[in-house]
Amino acid sequence: MTLTVLTTVLSFSVLTLAAGAAVPPAKLDEKQRTFFKDYCVECHNAEKLKGKLRLDDIPFALETVERADRWQKILNQINSGEMPPEDAKQPDTKAKTDFLEALSQTLVTARRTLGDSGGKIVVRRLNRREYRNTIRDLLGVDIDVSDLPPDSGNGTFDTVGSSLFMSSDQVEQYLALGRRALDDAFTLHAAGTRPLKIHTELEKVAEVQLRGGLDYLTKKIEPYHQWTAAVDAASTKPENSAKAAEIHALDEVSKEPQRFYRHWADLKGAPSPVNFGFKDPAEGEGVKQYFDESSANVAKYFALPHVDTGSYLFVFIVRPQESVVAPKDWPPGQYTLRVRMAALEDTPAERHFIEVGHPTQPGAFDIFSAHQITGSIEQPQTIEIPVTLTSTGSRTFAIREKRQNSREQEVAIAVLYRNKHKTWYPPAMWIDWMELEGPRNEDAPQSKAAELFLEKSADLSEHDHGRQIIERFVTRAFRGSKPEDRFIESLEQIFDHRRSEGGTFESALKEALSVALAAPGFLYLSEPTQPGKPRKLTNAELATRLSYFLWSAPHDAQLRNADLTQPDVLVREVDRMIASPKSREFVAGFVHQWLGLDRLDFFQFNKQMFPQFDDSAKMAVRHEVFETFSHLLSTNGSLTRLLKTDQVVINGLLANLYGIEGVTGDAFRPVSLPANSPRGGLLGMAAIMAMGSNGERTSPIERGAWVLRKLLHDPPPPAPPNVPQLSRLADKPLSPRERILAHQEEPQCLQCHRKIDPIGFGLENFNAIGLWRTTERYTKASGGRKDWPIDPSGAFHKGPVFRDYFELRDHLAAKADQFARGFSEALIEYALGRPFSFRDEPLATEMVRRASEKDLAVREYILALITSREFQSK
Amino acid sequence: MNTPLNRRRFLRSSTALIALPFLESLGFRRFASAAPMVARPKRLIFLAFGWGVTRETWFPDVKQTSADYEIPQGLAPLARHKKDITIVQNTSNKFSNEAHWGSTFWLTGANRYAEPGQSFHNSISADQVAARQLGRETRFASLQLGTPDAKEQGHGPGLSLAWDERGKPLAGYDTPIMTFHRLFSAENTPLAQRQRMIEEKRSVLDALSKDLNRVKRSLSKDDTDKLDEYAQSIRDIEMRLGKDEQWLAMPKPKTLLHEPKAELAGRDEINLMYDLMIAAMQTDTTRVMSYRQPVNTLLKDIGVPYTGHDLSHYERSQGDRMEFSQKRDEAQSKLLAGFLDKLKATKEADGTSLFDNAVLAFGSNISSVHFLNNCPTVLAGGGAGIKLGQHLVLSKDTPLCNVWLTLLNGLGVKAERHGDSTGVVKELIA
Repeated sequence: MTLTVLTTVLSFSVLTLAAGAAVPPAKLDEKQRTFFKDYCVECHNAEKLKGKLRLDDIPFALETVERADRWQKILNQINSGEMPPEDAKQPDTKAKTDFLEALSQTLVTARRTLGDSGGKIVVRRLNRREYRNTIRDLLGVDIDVSDLPPDSGNGTFDTVGSSLFMSSDQVEQYLALGRRALDDAFTLHAAGTRPLKIHTELEKVAEVQLRGGLDYLTKKIEPYHQWTAAVDAASTKPENSAKAAEIHALDEVSKEPQRFYRHWADLKGAPSPVNFGFKDPAEGEGVKQYFDESSANVAKYFALPHVDTGSYLFVFIVRPQESVVAPKDWPPGQYTLRVRMAALEDTPAERHFIEVGHPTQPGAFDIFSAHQITGSIEQPQTIEIPVTLTSTGSRTFAIREKRQNSREQEVAIAVLYRNKHKTWYPPAMWIDWMELEGPRNEDAPQSKAAELFLEKSADLSEHDHGRQIIERFVTRAFRGSKPEDRFIESLEQIFDHRRSEGGTFESALKEALSVALAAPGFLYLSEPTQPGKPRKLTNAELATRLSYFLWSAPHDAQLRNADLTQPDVLVREVDRMIASPKSREFVAGFVHQWLGLDRLDFFQFNKQMFPQFDDSAKMAVRHEVFETFSHLLSTNGSLTRLLKTDQVVINGLLANLYGIEGVTGDAFRPVSLPANSPRGGLLGMAAIMAMGSNGERTSPIERGAWVLRKLLHDPPPPAPPNVPQLSRLADKPLSPRERILAHQEEPQCLQCHRKIDPIGFGLENFNAIGLWRTTERYTKASGGRKDWPIDPSGAFHKGPVFRDYFELRDHLAAKADQFARGFSEALIEYALGRPFSFRDEPLATEMVRRASEKDLAVREYILALITSREFQSK
Repeated sequence: MNTPLNRRRFLRSSTALIALPFLESLGFRRFASAAPMVARPKRLIFLAFGWGVTRETWFPDVKQTSADYEIPQGLAPLARHKKDITIVQNTSNKFSNEAHWGSTFWLTGANRYAEPGQSFHNSISADQVAARQLGRETRFASLQLGTPDAKEQGHGPGLSLAWDERGKPLAGYDTPIMTFHRLFSAENTPLAQRQRMIEEKRSVLDALSKDLNRVKRSLSKDDTDKLDEYAQSIRDIEMRLGKDEQWLAMPKPKTLLHEPKAELAGRDEINLMYDLMIAAMQTDTTRVMSYRQPVNTLLKDIGVPYTGHDLSHYERSQGDRMEFSQKRDEAQSKLLAGFLDKLKATKEADGTSLFDNAVLAFGSNISSVHFLNNCPTVLAGGGAGIKLGQHLVLSKDTPLCNVWLTLLNGLGVKAERHGDSTGVVKELIA
C-alpha cells in the first residue's frame, strides 16, 4: 500500500468514525472457554501437542484473516464429527450445540468485519437494467440486453460495484448493442410521427383460415378414401366374399368398422395403403379421424352465434389463439395492442382471462401480460395493452386463453374434456377484433431521436454539422461529465474516415456515436476523487446518485436543475421521483433482490398438481409483492404492513387464485380482508410461500431460513460443509415433519435448525403455491397415499410458543424493529452500491429512529438515507 | 458443399463420430495453418458439474486401488474407457467452505477471505495458468463454455470456471448457439475490407482509451480498480485484433455445423457443446477449454422431477431421490463416455487422436450433499502423460490443486505451485 492510499483510507476512517464507534474485532464469547478447554485444549496443548496441533494459545478475538481461518478449521473439524475423537470424552448435546452456534456466528461476524469495505463507494459500471434504461432515456428505444453477462448471483445487489465486472467480450457487446440502439433510433426518427395501424376483424380471418384448413384436409384425406374404396371393391368380388364376411364378423371390426381395412392383405386384389401414401392402415385411420373431427368442429363452429361478427377463442382445437403481425417496415417502439372481447355467459369465471405474448413454439408463449375479460357479447369490452416492438425480437403479438404454457398441457385439457364429455372443450371467450397501433408518443421517443439531428444551418459544412451532432450527443450521453476534446476528435476522425470510405452521412455518424456508448464516460458512474479528500457531491453528482437509486436511470432536466442543497427542494424532488412511473424500476429492482424473489424461477411448478399456477399466475404473484410495496411507497404506509395487515393489493387474476370475492379487472388495488384471512403481509403472499417450495412440496427449511434472513434480520450462517448425514433415516417412511425433526438430533444441525425449523412448520398451512391447506398428502413410491394433518404449532428458539400460523405471524409482527433494521441495511447497500459496512451502523440506526417517529413509514427511511452524509459525499 | 445439409441431420446425429469426418472431407480446415502448427498441440479441458454426485455409488471401493478396481454404478457407462481414465479420491480445496459453490474455487483453490477489506477473493484458475502458455498460438487463448443460471446448477459465483491473474471472473458462452457464432459464423467479407475493419476497430479502441484516461485521471489511485478491468478489456481486444491480423489471409474455420437451435436443452445441449469443443480443437481455435455444465435441464430431459440442489440432498429423500441422483450420475457419465469416444475417433494430422494429446478433468468441488471433501475427479487423455487406468486413493485431504499442478507440469506448463498446492501427485506421474 502506498503512503497516499494509506492516508486516504485513514483520513476517511477518522472522518467516518467520528460518527460511529470503532469496529471491534469479532470475539468468541468467554462463556465458551470452558468447553474449548475441556474438549479441545485438553489434547491440543503445548505438552501433549496431539496431531502436532496446539490450540491453547489461540486468542478468542478473531482479529486477522489467519486467526479466522484457524477458527474455521476448528469449526469444520467439530462439524464433520472428526473432533472430539470417538475415544475421547464427549460433550453433551446442549453444550456442543451452543459452542457450535457461538463459533459459527462469531465467524460470520469476523468475516464481515475483516471483509468490511470501510464504507468506500467505488466507481462502478451501469448494471444491465440501468444500461437498458439509460439507452432508452437517451435514444427513446428499447433494446434486448439479455446477451450481456448477468449482474446478479453474487449474493449482493446488482448495484454493488465490486461485483460488476468488465471483460473484452462485454466491451464488444456494448459496441454492438450501442450500434443497434442507434440503428433503431434512426429508424424511429425516419418513420416520423405518422401513427401506423392494423385492424383485423376476426370473423374474416376465421372464415378464411377455417375453410382453407378444411380444403387442405379434404385434399389430404382423398387418397384414404380412394384406398378404402379400392379395398371395398376388392371385397365385393366373389373370391373374397367369404373372407370379407369373416373379417366383418371380427370383434374389433364390429366395434370399429374402419378396422376392416386393416385386413386388406387377406383380400385378393386389394391394394396396399402404401400405394396411397400411408405407411399402414392405422396412419390412414389417424388422418381420417383427424379429418372427421376437424370438419365436425368447423361445421359446429360456423353454427355458433356471432361468428359473423367475431371469433371464439378455444384451447388447442379450432382457433387456439389470435394474432397480429407488425409489418417489417414498422419502426421499433412502444405500440398499443387493442382487443375487443367478451366473456361467454355460463362459462366458468376462472376461464375469463387472456394472456398476451409472442408465440414461440406450438402451445408455448413468451408471455408479457395477462388480462381479465369482463365484457359480454352484448357489451364487449376493449382492452388496451401496451407492447414493445423491437428490431430483433418477434413481430407477432398474440392472445389466447390463459393456460399452462405447453403444448402437452393444452392437449391434455382439450383431449381429457373430449373423452369425458364426448364433445369439444367449449370456448369461454369471444373476440370481435384486434388492432395494433403506434409507435406511441407519450415518452416522445421520436423527439428523443430527433434530438440527435441538429438542423443544419446553411453556412455549416457537413463535417462541422457532424462534429456538432457528435459533441452534443456525447455530452448528453456522459450525463454531465465533460468529454475531452481529444475524445470528440477521435470520434470525428472515425466519422470522417467512414465518410471518405463512401459511407452515408448517417452510417458514418452511427459509427462514431456508437463508440461513445461503449466509453467509460457512458458506462461508468464515477465521481472524481482526490486522495485523502472526502468531499460533498456536486449538485449534478447528487442528482445522478438519486436518479440511479430511485429510477435506475439518468436524471431528467428538472432534477438536474433543482438546487438539491435546499432540504425542501430535495424532499420535493424525491416525492416527485417516487410519484413518477420510473420509480417502478426501483421497486422491482430493489424488492426483487431484497426479498430474494429470483427463487421463484428456480424450478418448474408441477403442472398436473397446480394447473392454476401457470406462467401468468406466477407473474401476477410476483407483481403482488411489487404492487404492495409500491402502494406503501406512494401512500407512505408503515413497513409493518409487510408483516401483518388487514388488506391485500391484488387484481382480478389474484383474487381468483386466492378465492377472494368481488375483485375484477387488471388494475392492482387495495382490498380489505376478512378478520380470519391468512393473507395480508408478505407471509400471506403466494410468491413468498411458493419460493419456499420445490414446485411440488413445501420446504419448511427454506421458509424458516427466509423468515430469519428477511423478516427477523437474523440470518443463519451458511450451511456448513462436511456434516455427516443421518444414515439411519434412509428408506424410513416418515412425515416431512418427523424427517426434518430428525435433523435436530445432532448438535451440528441443531445449532441452526432449532431456530429455522419451528418457523417453517408454522407456515405449513400454505401449500407449494401458497394456497391454504389443512392436510398434506404423501404419495409413496410404491403407490398408495397417506394424509397427514398439518400441525403448525411450535415455539421460537428461546422464544414464545405459537399454536398456529396466525399466532406465529403476530409474534413476527411484534418484532418490526428487527425487520426495519434489515430493510434499512438492504436499502443502504442498494443505494450506495457497496456492501453494508460496519461504519453504516449509525446510519441504519438513524434511519430506523427517524422512521419510527412516523410509525415506520416507508418513505422516511429513504429520506433519512438520502439526506445522510454517506449518501451526499464521496 | 453442394449437398445442402439440413441442421436437423447434424443435430439428430449429434455425435461427432459421424458428423466430423464428414465435415473434414467437406472443407473443415485448420484455422491457423498459416503458422506451422506444432506436431501435436497439447490441450487441456475442464468439465464441471456443480452439485456433486451420489457418494455411495459413484466412487469406487477404496479397498480396490490401482488398475484392479470395479467400475462403480455411477461411472458404469465409462467402463469401455476404463484403461483410459483415472479416478482420484480424497482431494479437496482446504479453504472451501461454501457448500453450494461447486465451481467457484474448483480450479483455483483460493481462500475466499484472504483479502482484508473484501468479502470475496479468488485467484487464477488452473486453465488460465495453462492458457498463458498454450494460448499464445491460437485465436482464442482459452474458451469458456457455460450454462445459463449457473448458480442454480450449483456452480456458485463466477462467470465461468475461469478466473484471471487478478482473481476476476472471466465470462464465457452460455449456450451452444452463442459458442457457434463466436467460433464459426461465416466470414464472407473480402480480405481488404477485413483489414480495414481491423484498422477501424483499432481507432475505436484508441478513442475508448482516451476517455478511459480522462476518467482515470479524475480519480484517486485506490478508486481505479474497476477501471483497470476496462483497461484490461481494451488490451485483450487489441491482442485479439493482433491475432486476427496475423491470420487475416486464412479463412475463418469453416464448418458445416449449422446454427444450433436455441431451445436445445439437456443431453442435446451438452452433446452439442462437446461437439463444439471437438470442432474447436480440430480447427486449433483454442487449446484450453472449460465447461460449466447444466444439470437442471439435464434432469428434466432424463425425466427426473427434481432440481439439482434438491436432488443433492438425496439422503433425506422420500424414497426416490437417491435413485434419481444415480440416474443423473449415469447420464453424466454416459455423456462423458461419448465425448471420450469422439476424442479418440478424431485424428490429428499425424495420425494420433485428440485424446492422445489432450488431458481432461471431470468433477466438482462439491462431492455430495454439503460435502466438500473428496472432490469427485475423473482424469482422462494422454496429453499430460499421466498414468491412466487406475483408481487412486490419496491420503486424506490432499490438495486438489496438487492434481492440477501435476496436469500443468505434465503439459509442459511452467508452474511451481498452484492455489494451495503442496506438490505434485507422484502417483499420477507415469
